[in-house]
Amino acid sequence: MITRLVLLAAFGLGISTSTVGAIEPIKTVASFSILADITKQIGGDRVSVDTLVGPEEDAHVYDPTPRDAVKIAVAKLVVINGLGFEGWIDRLIKLSAGAPKVTIASDGIVSHQTTIEGHERTDPHAWQDLRSVQIYARNIAESLIQIDPDHETLYRANLARYTEELATLDQDIRSAISAIPAERRKIVTTHDAFGYFAQAYGIEMIAPQGVSTEAEASAKDVARIIRQVKSEKIPAVFLENVSDHRLAERIATESGARMGGKLYSDALSKENAPAGTYIAMMKTNIRELTKALMP
Amino acid sequence: MTTPSDLYDLVIGPFAEFAFMRRGLVGVLALSLGAGPIGVFLMLRRMSLVGDAMAHAILPGAALGYLVAGLSLGFMTAGGLIAGFVVALLAGLVTRVTVLKEDAALASFYLISLAGGVVLVSLRGSNVDLLHVLFGSVLALDDPTLLLLATSASINLVVLAVLFRPLVLECVDPLFLRTVGKSGSVTHLGFLALVVLNLVAGFHALGTLLSVGLMMLPAFAARFWSATLEGMMAVATLVGIMSGCLGIILSYHLGTPTGPTIILCAGAIYLVSILIGRRNGLLIRFLPRAHLSA
Amino acid sequence: MRNRSNAITVRDLTLGYDRHPAVHHLDGCFAAGSLTAIIGPNGAGKSTLLKALAGTLPPLSGSVSFEGSKAKIAYLPQSADIDHDFPISVEDLVTTGLWQKTGPFGAFSQHDRTTVLEALDRVGLAGFEARILGTLSGGQLQRVLFARLMVQGADIILIDEPFAAIDTKTVRDLMHLVRHWHGEGRTILAVLHDMALVEEYFPDCLMLAREPVAWGKTSDVLTADHLAQARAMIEANDPHADLCERAA
Repeated sequence: MITRLVLLAAFGLGISTSTVGAIEPIKTVASFSILADITKQIGGDRVSVDTLVGPEEDAHVYDPTPRDAVKIAVAKLVVINGLGFEGWIDRLIKLSAGAPKVTIASDGIVSHQTTIEGHERTDPHAWQDLRSVQIYARNIAESLIQIDPDHETLYRANLARYTEELATLDQDIRSAISAIPAERRKIVTTHDAFGYFAQAYGIEMIAPQGVSTEAEASAKDVARIIRQVKSEKIPAVFLENVSDHRLAERIATESGARMGGKLYSDALSKENAPAGTYIAMMKTNIRELTKALMP
Repeated sequence: MTTPSDLYDLVIGPFAEFAFMRRGLVGVLALSLGAGPIGVFLMLRRMSLVGDAMAHAILPGAALGYLVAGLSLGFMTAGGLIAGFVVALLAGLVTRVTVLKEDAALASFYLISLAGGVVLVSLRGSNVDLLHVLFGSVLALDDPTLLLLATSASINLVVLAVLFRPLVLECVDPLFLRTVGKSGSVTHLGFLALVVLNLVAGFHALGTLLSVGLMMLPAFAARFWSATLEGMMAVATLVGIMSGCLGIILSYHLGTPTGPTIILCAGAIYLVSILIGRRNGLLIRFLPRAHLSA
Repeated sequence: MRNRSNAITVRDLTLGYDRHPAVHHLDGCFAAGSLTAIIGPNGAGKSTLLKALAGTLPPLSGSVSFEGSKAKIAYLPQSADIDHDFPISVEDLVTTGLWQKTGPFGAFSQHDRTTVLEALDRVGLAGFEARILGTLSGGQLQRVLFARLMVQGADIILIDEPFAAIDTKTVRDLMHLVRHWHGEGRTILAVLHDMALVEEYFPDCLMLAREPVAWGKTSDVLTADHLAQARAMIEANDPHADLCERAA
């Protein structure tokens, strides 16, 4: 009888403690939409996530606002990508005069160098490789556990579930690509953000020289791309970033390549579909790729 | 020593190899046919800056098209066309009915129109550079666009042929036209409508620089080669075609942006014409030639 | 009073700009086939009168009427609004005189071409057909405009100061032509400054100094009294003028 009373009391105490702790979600700031999604997957209801660079915005040209500094000032946790992706974040954190825990999500992944605007830099777009995102998720989980150890079980459970989803998707992507004949595993794309994807999954990403997104094209550049696509038998071109849509179509038509759909490289889409979450984003990308590359 | 095959590689080869090169050439040809004569009239009527003004005046129309149907080229171009007509019409009316002249009337409405367009665009909340989206490129001429250019050229030629006499008289002696006939207003407005059509179709297909530049620069050059109206129109058309060919080939070999290269070629021909043109060319004036006996 | 029809009748005509009268209460008529000179000091309203008769200036009050329903009027304004730089040939410019006959789209017959060439010959410009407008002298341009007048073949011809800064020979030749038109029975009104010309060529005269001073035979009009009266006209508009109270 006394054992039951003690158990009841312990139970009641346990509930009350956890209820007290469960009132305030952890204020978190993620630097951009992909990180925000991953953080929400791990933290669930325990976190309230604010994003700096929102869906369909460009982190490369982002200019932080005073409101962002306020967000950081009241945050307990700030999740950033690192690898030089957010050139503006250090100054912003200093400006906010807060003292949040800063988690670099890409800690521990294997990075590579690439040429960005003519300079050798570390390629920051590591989230294009699902195995790296497993590491991202783990880093975020560790930080959350440090801040909020009471809910370690929850975080570990979410991490396990999410890692499982990522592993399945990784496998799906590999099968999808292996179904594409080897000589067709290359595309032309104006994005320079798919280096890790190319490395991990074996699709060659070729940048169209000269046909940039802003400047006006020359006949020489257009001729060069068409020749390249024809001679290397590249099956698809993904040129939705080229400012003149009709030029992209002309290149596709004349080179005999398929016009690829929209690929998401460093931001989620505004609506839920087709790329409202990170996993949805990778799914839609592989779907567009297979659609374009399958014979 | 360039052999014929070298010349082939240089000039004909690229056009043989690439469809987009051939299409660009055809597009410029169609544009020159219509724009050449119109440019001559604009120059003679001292309306050479109309093209630039019109490029901005069409913004509210394009903005309305955008508000209605998003980034639909068809809707935005149609909207631009309507805005252009309205501005041209109002400018024409003000010129005829009030004391303001052509240049003031047109400037007034294009400014109002441009400002209205900027406000309309901001209503949607995004900062899409509408005008940029609206304008095409000579390298990207698909079938519908080529058809548009060809149709525009045909309409130009037909309307010019029909309006030719009233237009000429309206330019030379508008008071006389007023006393002998009633076609003055119709002619004036018809001509402005033609200019709008030509420009908007040109913007849609080839962008503002190319469209306006190929309309005006060849006309300016023609001034130095012919003394008659018909002669100027012919020379202007020819210069337009030459600039197109030269510009596209240079852009191919040198890697320079195609539209501006074509205009620079037209500009070069114009500058050369100023110097050595048979009529009023500078060199002719300064080089003494023996005079005739009577 | 000879029983002739009146080509143009003017009833209590007041013309002006900004409600200030330039022609004040003019009343009378121009007989058919008459050759009338319109004279007066500067600002007397002479050009204004011709503009109203040509139909390009609506009256402030009063009316203008023409005999017959379709009076063909040819009007040569002072220093015409012509764009001298326009690349048009002499022949083409004279051909526009046929507008009232062919309209903007009608074809030109061989006869039309002959008419144009004859007109050019008449004004002493044979061989000038292909010349471009900008290359002509003042006198030559005036001859071209007279050729156009001729080609128009109008019943009523209005000419406004055609001889300003024109050489004497051209003036003589063109006045000869005017006399020829008079002989053909056309009604001609001409605004002139040269009194000697008026006395020599014009049987009728209207002296205008905003108000009509005298109107009738030239010899009756050109008197010292009338000239003095005309000279007394005040040129400037009166900024403090009241509304005109005069009735017809």
